Amino acid sequence: MSGLKSVNHKADLLLEAAESGHVEEVTAMETVAGCVTTFDPGWEVDPFGGVASLCQPMEADLYGCSDPCWWPAQVPDTMNTYPNWQEGKPSAQHDWRELDPVYPDTNAVFPKK
Amino acid sequence: MNLKFVLPVLLAGLLAGCGSVLSPGHARRDFLVTGAAPDHLFVINPRTQKVVSDFTIPGAHDYVSVIVPSPSGKVAYVLVNRTRSIAGINLRTGKEVFRANLEQPGERVTCMYAFDVTPNGKELIVYVYRTRLEIDQYRVQAPRFLIFSTTAGLHAKPLREFPAPRRVQMILAKHDGRSFFAIGFNLYEYDLRTGRLIERRGILNWHRPHHLRPDMLAFWPVTEPTGIFSSPIYSTLVGPGTPPGGVPETSLLTLNLHDGHLAYHDIGRTNALIFSTVIGPDRRWAYGAYTQLTKIKMDGTHWRVADRVTLPHTYYSVNISPNGKEVYVGGTMCDVIIYDARTMREKGDVQLPGCADQATATLRVIERR
Repeated sequence: MSGLKSVNHKADLLLEAAESGHVEEVTAMETVAGCVTTFDPGWEVDPFGGVASLCQPMEADLYGCSDPCWWPAQVPDTMNTYPNWQEGKPSAQHDWRELDPVYPDTNAVFPKK
Repeated sequence: MNLKFVLPVLLAGLLAGCGSVLSPGHARRDFLVTGAAPDHLFVINPRTQKVVSDFTIPGAHDYVSVIVPSPSGKVAYVLVNRTRSIAGINLRTGKEVFRANLEQPGERVTCMYAFDVTPNGKELIVYVYRTRLEIDQYRVQAPRFLIFSTTAGLHAKPLREFPAPRRVQMILAKHDGRSFFAIGFNLYEYDLRTGRLIERRGILNWHRPHHLRPDMLAFWPVTEPTGIFSSPIYSTLVGPGTPPGGVPETSLLTLNLHDGHLAYHDIGRTNALIFSTVIGPDRRWAYGAYTQLTKIKMDGTHWRVADRVTLPHTYYSVNISPNGKEVYVGGTMCDVIIYDARTMREKGDVQLPGCADQATATLRVIERR
């Protein structure tokens, strides 16, 4: 592959894999990475169709949801891809202003070896 | 041992001694154990309503979750490091005496809450998920049971490994020391020595007339003081007399770790949630926590909600004193509330130093001997 130049992340990986003899590990389809095991509606609605039976306040539930990767659409996947999201912010009720949104980062999902 | 630990313990010991004057020979020696971010393990004296120890768990990585005390109450095994490690912390000195880092080169290994210690305190049973990390894909591997010696020190490696089913959320050791239960969609019992599957009973596929398939959230492995694990389990009642769509019903699952008896009891229509429950020592009352504290009367075959009070905020974890007089709620935020089990009135509110979140940390009761 010496005559090829990679133009995206996948091609980067393929070049690296060719050098290390692991081409078989690079597949055509990008896998969804994360820890999604739950497809509950999330924080929008409780089992009764309202909001009164959601955790009160929501800060009580924040790290209880991000820690086990419960609703990764609403909170970052701190189990795998964003393990440092709450670093230095041990109290959701006091530190919630410091908790930043996260954005897709392929390198966070498949860190370069 | 450091002064930060010694002074509060001495003080607690003196106060506990005062209590023993009132009832010679029967001094309560029960303490509460809970954890909090980023790396705290707390010991609370419920009599003084004070935190007596604030230990630091090395390498917790902002994650302190399931807590399993040794049968002697001397060591707490704690799931830390984003589900990748179990640390054993001496509850008197705070010293780390056990460490199992689960990850392997090229393989992510996590314990999703499911582990327990054997009744003799000698082995730790850990259920792990394994994912092979390849260059641009993850390859899911079969889950395993890992058996560690609790004397293996800070670089523990499994003594034995067995194949395991998927979707297990809790491990509970049977009290005869020969087998353990794995709880998930089904209830499995495995031989501790060989890993042989002894029995499989349905939970998701239970056979209960007029009850649809249930739903259960259970990762608080509290079995003290009775040796009976309990959990709320939700379903829908259908059949004659019920409206279209059925009636949401809350039941209590109980698993007796002495004899393996599994039972379900309906406690009433679901009009409030319960996350975790505990059975009182007289086996006549159970208590459940969420945004309300629920008291359940276990009256023969007729179990029912007897009382319910609103808590200051949501709490995940509930426990009870060995004498059944106090109920404790913890988890989520930074306090543990003590309730009178009979009147359901608040007796005290223990604020954790630093006000860090307990999140999914288990609130445990230990008895020091």
